[in-house]
Amino acid sequence: MKPYFFHGMVAGIFAAIAAIIYNRIYVFALAADFSMVVNLPGILASSFIGTVGASAGYYFFGRFIKKNTDIWFNLLFTIITFSSLLLPLSITLPLEISTPELFLGLTIPMHFMPQLFWLTSKPLFYK
Amino acid sequence: MHTGRFYLIATFIVLTASAFTLADAARWNLTDNYEIRFTSDDPSGIFTDLKGDIFFDANNLNASTFNMVVKVNSINTGNGMQNSHAKSAKWFDAETYPDIRFTSKSINKTSNGFSTTGILEMHGVKKEITFPFTFENNIFKGNFEVNRNDYKIGEPGGSASDVLKVALKVPVSK
Repeated sequence: MKPYFFHGMVAGIFAAIAAIIYNRIYVFALAADFSMVVNLPGILASSFIGTVGASAGYYFFGRFIKKNTDIWFNLLFTIITFSSLLLPLSITLPLEISTPELFLGLTIPMHFMPQLFWLTSKPLFYK
Repeated sequence: MHTGRFYLIATFIVLTASAFTLADAARWNLTDNYEIRFTSDDPSGIFTDLKGDIFFDANNLNASTFNMVVKVNSINTGNGMQNSHAKSAKWFDAETYPDIRFTSKSINKTSNGFSTTGILEMHGVKKEITFPFTFENNIFKGNFEVNRNDYKIGEPGGSASDVLKVALKVPVSK
C-alpha cells in the first residue's frame, strides 16, 4: 500500500508544479485573468485528487483484475482523463471574466498533467 | 432702413435658436459601469459594449430620446463555446448583423417611473416594443422580455429558452 500512496503524492507534487508553471506562463502570455476559478488551492487539490485517486484506483484494480492489469488500468485512466474535459467545456464562468474563450486553452492541458506525471513516475515505485 | 431690417432678422434668428435650445432635453453620457443582462433557464449572460445617445428630461419627455446600440460580438455567457455559438450564423449572425439597436419613438410618465416605446432591431428584424424604466440618481433601470423567435434568432424550441428577460442598468453623467 505504501508505494501506491507515495507514488500518488510524488506524481501530485510534480503535476501541481507543472500546472502552476503553465498557469503563470499562460496568464502572462495572454493577459487573461482566471484567478477567480483557477487558483493555487484549486490546482493543488485537483492535482492530488487526480494522482492519489489514480494510485488508489490502481491498487484496488490490481486486486480484482490480475491479468493485464496495467493495460486495462491505463485505458481506464485515459478514458477518465478525457471524460474530465467535459468539465471545462461545459462550465459557465463568472461573467466578470471577459475572455471565457481562453479558458479551455488553460485548463485542458492541466487536465492531462496528473495522468502524465502519474504514468511517468510509475516505474519508480513498483517492481 | 437696412440696419433696422438686419436687427429684426438677427432678433428672429436668436429667438428661434433660443426656442430650440429650450426645447432640447438634456444630453446624458454613458458611464463605463453599465449592465445589460439577459437571463433564462439557458442561456444567461451579458453584453459588454453599449453606445448611444441619450437625451432625457423628466419634465420634457417629448424632446427625450434614446438611440442605443449594443454590439453583438460583446456577448458573454460565461462559456467560450456558447459565446462562439451565439455569434454564429445559426443564432445572432454577428457578421451580418453586428448591432442590436433600440430607437425610442416616445417616452411617457407612468405611476412607477416612465415607459418608452420604440423599435428594437435584432438580427435584421425590427419590432416595436414598450418597456418600463426608472431614472433615479443618474441611473436608468429597465426590464423587458424578448422572444427570440420574433427576431428569428435560432430555431424555435430546443434547449435554449424562447423568452429571455433583459435587465438594463445604465448609469449616466452630464
